[in-house]
Amino acid sequence: MHLFDVRGNFHFCLMKTLYLFILYLIGAPLVGAWLAGWDRRLSARLQSRVGPPILQPVYDVLKLTQKENMVVRRSQNFYIAYYLIFVIFTGALFFTGQDMLLIIFSLMLASVFFVLAGFKASSPYSFIGAQRELVQIMAYEPAVIFAAIGMYMVTGTFEVSKLAQTNHWLILSLPGIFFAYLFILAMKLRKSPFDISTSHHGHQEVVKGITTEFSGKALAMIEVAHWYETTFILGIVYLFFAKSVVAGLSAALAAYVFMVFVDNAFARVKWPLALASSWIVAFLCGAGNMIWLFFTRH
Amino acid sequence: MDTTFIPVSLVIVPAIAAFLLLIFRGSKAKNFIVISASALIALGSLVLFFLNNMEGLIRFKLDIPGVSAGMLGIEIFMALFIIFIALRNGKSLVALLALIQVCLLTGFELRYGHALIVANDVFIDTFSVIMALIIGVIGTLIAVYSLGYMRSFHRLHAGEFPDRQPMFFFIIFVFLAAMFGIVFSNNLLWLYFFWEITTLSSFLLIGYKGNAESAQNAFRALLYNLIGGLFFAVAIVWMHFFAGTIEMDKLMVMHKAVVMFPVMLLCFAGLTKSAQLPFSSWLVGAMVAPSPVSALLHSSTMVKAGVYLIVRFAGVLEGTVVGLMIALVGGITFLLTTFIAVSQSDAKKVLAYSTIANLGLIVMCAGIGTYQAVWAAILLIIFHAVAKGLLFLCVGVIEHKLHSRDIEDMTGLIIKMPKMSIMLQVGMAGMFLAPFGMLISKWAVLRALVDYNPLLTIFLVFGSSATLFFWVKWMGQLLCVLKEEEDDETGISRAEWMPLTTLTIFTVGVCAFFPLIAKTMIEPFIRQMYNATVTMGQGNIMIMLIMLAMVMLFPLSFFYYGKKVKVVDAYLSGANTAIGTSFTNSLGGATPMEMKNYYLKRYFQEEKLLRIGVAVCIFLMCAATFIFVS
Amino acid sequence: MFLKKSPWIIHYDGSSCNGCDIEVLACLTPLFDVERFGIINTGNPKHADIFLITGSVNEQNKEIIQNIYCQMPDPKVVVAIGICACSGGIFAECYNVLGGVAKVIPVDVFVPGCAARPESIIDGVVKGLAVLEEKGKKFKNMKKGLATLSIDPAQIQDSAEILALQKAAYQSEAELYNDFSLSPLNQSLEEIKADFKSKIFLKAVLNKVIVGSVRAYQEKETCHIGRLIVHPLYQNWGIGTKLLYAIEARFPNAVRYESFTGHKSKRTLYFGRKRGYRECRREKVSLKRERVFFEKTREGKAR
Repeated sequence: MHLFDVRGNFHFCLMKTLYLFILYLIGAPLVGAWLAGWDRRLSARLQSRVGPPILQPVYDVLKLTQKENMVVRRSQNFYIAYYLIFVIFTGALFFTGQDMLLIIFSLMLASVFFVLAGFKASSPYSFIGAQRELVQIMAYEPAVIFAAIGMYMVTGTFEVSKLAQTNHWLILSLPGIFFAYLFILAMKLRKSPFDISTSHHGHQEVVKGITTEFSGKALAMIEVAHWYETTFILGIVYLFFAKSVVAGLSAALAAYVFMVFVDNAFARVKWPLALASSWIVAFLCGAGNMIWLFFTRH
Repeated sequence: MDTTFIPVSLVIVPAIAAFLLLIFRGSKAKNFIVISASALIALGSLVLFFLNNMEGLIRFKLDIPGVSAGMLGIEIFMALFIIFIALRNGKSLVALLALIQVCLLTGFELRYGHALIVANDVFIDTFSVIMALIIGVIGTLIAVYSLGYMRSFHRLHAGEFPDRQPMFFFIIFVFLAAMFGIVFSNNLLWLYFFWEITTLSSFLLIGYKGNAESAQNAFRALLYNLIGGLFFAVAIVWMHFFAGTIEMDKLMVMHKAVVMFPVMLLCFAGLTKSAQLPFSSWLVGAMVAPSPVSALLHSSTMVKAGVYLIVRFAGVLEGTVVGLMIALVGGITFLLTTFIAVSQSDAKKVLAYSTIANLGLIVMCAGIGTYQAVWAAILLIIFHAVAKGLLFLCVGVIEHKLHSRDIEDMTGLIIKMPKMSIMLQVGMAGMFLAPFGMLISKWAVLRALVDYNPLLTIFLVFGSSATLFFWVKWMGQLLCVLKEEEDDETGISRAEWMPLTTLTIFTVGVCAFFPLIAKTMIEPFIRQMYNATVTMGQGNIMIMLIMLAMVMLFPLSFFYYGKKVKVVDAYLSGANTAIGTSFTNSLGGATPMEMKNYYLKRYFQEEKLLRIGVAVCIFLMCAATFIFVS
Repeated sequence: MFLKKSPWIIHYDGSSCNGCDIEVLACLTPLFDVERFGIINTGNPKHADIFLITGSVNEQNKEIIQNIYCQMPDPKVVVAIGICACSGGIFAECYNVLGGVAKVIPVDVFVPGCAARPESIIDGVVKGLAVLEEKGKKFKNMKKGLATLSIDPAQIQDSAEILALQKAAYQSEAELYNDFSLSPLNQSLEEIKADFKSKIFLKAVLNKVIVGSVRAYQEKETCHIGRLIVHPLYQNWGIGTKLLYAIEARFPNAVRYESFTGHKSKRTLYFGRKRGYRECRREKVSLKRERVFFEKTREGKAR
């Protein structure tokens, strides 16, 4: 929704936006942390282990805040702080129902700060991680923008508030675009076939990739940002099923669980394959879906 | 005030300054003339802006006897000069093209010149004023910058290249005059005259160094631009016979079927000037010229003349097959040259390819020709001129300091040249990052495309994700520090700092005042042309401004710089030596760590992509011609 | 405290038969599943809380172990696993083996065994958690305890501690000039003890640990202040300023105070300027380094 509604009822809209914002600010990380906890538990069960408590991600973050502030370059943590701020901002734009394209651009800005933090840390591992993160951004951006354009083609609006209240089953018109989006979901959630920039599971060739040189509070900020990002990313999944709230929520949850399975079932791929496959899928399924929509509607 | 005074003097003042610079060769006189002429020109273009705001459209006939004859004389002289120099260097194709053109137009003017009836020679609307502001403000800033730059250029390359500075500044100011001429002319013969002057200035400035490489590239630029000139000349002759006019404002409102062919030819001429794909190689070659030349001619102004012409005829192109073909040429150029930019490590080449790409985007918008697309195109022209000018100037200074313009050599620039690298980063942010100019325009382009034909967004979507890649990795290379070094920004003259700082402020300023710019400069033009206006939504603009404010707060973090942190070495698998940035190698010695960017050369091959692009774009241009002829 | 709820480990294997190495990894398998306790093998010192070392220390991996240890953020715990890591084991007599891990870094928990069984490794880590918790509290208290900071004259028995502190504090200086021949880094215990005879030493004590020190002597009207050092962990917390003012107060009849630093040490120069010192002369000490002298008169004004 705009800050001003049609009747110029500024105050009412602002208050509603504000409430939504506060709800999101508190709720999103909780949902993200809860999902991350279940992710670890579920992964453990898939490997016939018991796994950590559900609150383990929260414990991790709280512990990190108690650790020493250790850096390689003195300014590296500011970039992380900005990454967190802009991820929160992106999510806030999304959950208060703003323009979808603007949200994607804001997400890009956040990601750029994250990548720059990796460069700034001036360590070979974070440098390679940053380069790979860039490759990832390049790989997933088309699919995300296609999602926005596809939704616009069906509903005629970029505004999330209107998309959320649509009475179309977007998924029926946009199956290809949804598939392309699902394909790159692993990158955004940092899950296995495409977890090339941070390598969440230890002892791999890039150590911890882009996050290698961050410790203590900075690492905690990265984790929290990831929680916010997870809710936002799943929010877009919701939009495809937005006609019914129940369907939307369960689709988002199902997508997450699916990604956990994928995470455990696949080995990591190299970056050229990650880039090529996601572009090919984005082009064939995403753009293909758009072409199909365009010609059936004209 | 007489409305004819300002536009005419904007053409005359730089021309006079140019000749003065040729006469007074002392360094003090040169500084004085360049600075005072620049101030006058900048002031003049600002006055023109207010004049236009008050009076709206300005058009008049310039009744000075002998103007046409003079122009013809200069044109013939230029052609003879080109033919002479081309034959001396064994470039017969260039000579032939120049000969055909000059014969065609001289014959045309001598035979039909008296019958030409031109109601208005000069036509200035808001779009012309925007262009004039870019030329008058950014162009003169670059001219001032050249003062400092050329001095250190010749100091660094003493004995290597002949010092021909008077000639250099002469051409720069002649060029400025010609650019004003292009954006003010309504009479296409005049426009053609100024167009040819820019071609020649570009040729001379690319060849400034006088070595074999620059001569080679200068002739390539000349060749392609002469092809464009030929399109232009044919268009004029055709127009006279079939449309009965050579006035731009009349062409713009005539029936599409009548003017389609000449407009298409003019657009082709624009494509060559803007270095779009089949012709793009000249702009990359032009990077041998000194940096201010690249900034002035090859990014901020001259190449914009090409898109200026195409945007002028956007209304004609709207909804036509020819328009679609032009849009596709632009789209393909954007996509492929962006991919090529990913694989380049030479800073100026990256900038060149990015320039071509952004011009492609403008061409795409103009080819579509809807009011939203044209709105986006003009926005792109403004933002690109500011940010790209800044980038070229920064790279120029850095090249002199580092003796290299390879991005890999710029590692750790943030501590070596902190101020310069911050400016460079502002420029880069201006080119692709969210709240800054180019991204606002890309957003506008995306919306325009979605409403017109969403399939065209495919180019933009894939292209802009690659854009992000090559800019961020460059930015990162500046931030990444391999060893402690002292900052050393000495030896950069005030003449260089001033334009750099001003352009940095402009880059941020045009974003902060973007709603105002859109309202006062772009909207009047769109309304006059289409009777419609574009709104971006007040809420959205507010969000953009919030984002900008947030990003601008980043420098505040320096107050907190490095407090309460423990600095340790980077993780090198525990093998760090006592100097933290090197590690113990397998022989027990120390190897310093090194970091190089990804260029994805295997996937984004320059030659292969260019070959594909040239083939496809030539096909599209032929298809457009063929459709029209049949 | 959440330290014990999420201990992340880094594992390093020194010179060993790899038996303990394999057993450590066995802990992560479904059978033992240490992730139940939130334990993750990070493979990155910057993320880790617990440093698990198997195998003995030799000449080659000595520095690597030290590096990894230094790159772990506080609070941290070292667990030596297996007999080789505890004492050198069967390798102890080898010509290149130094012995157990404790020879190069402080070890908190020793886990015996050849090879150590996963159960005992887990036990060791759990013991380590208690230490971690305790260290965490200490670390927190240190931060809080700044109010209890005391500045006293140092005695000759403090010289060893001050020397260690001096070497830690001057490390970054040495890196700045890439010159490890700096005299503070190479001072011996005897030399510093000799200094005690001619100079007055002050120490800053925090929780019974010396975290900063300064020394000075008077010659005619001038008080020469030297080696103002603060432990890298406690810099920027005002300890240096307190030490400087305290030492100035010790020489009430000096007319001017003088000190020096290297020409590249911007932070020190800035520190001096902020406290009323002005640059008075420069002296070249080596090709790489220049000494910048700065002075202050008693009224707090530069001459």
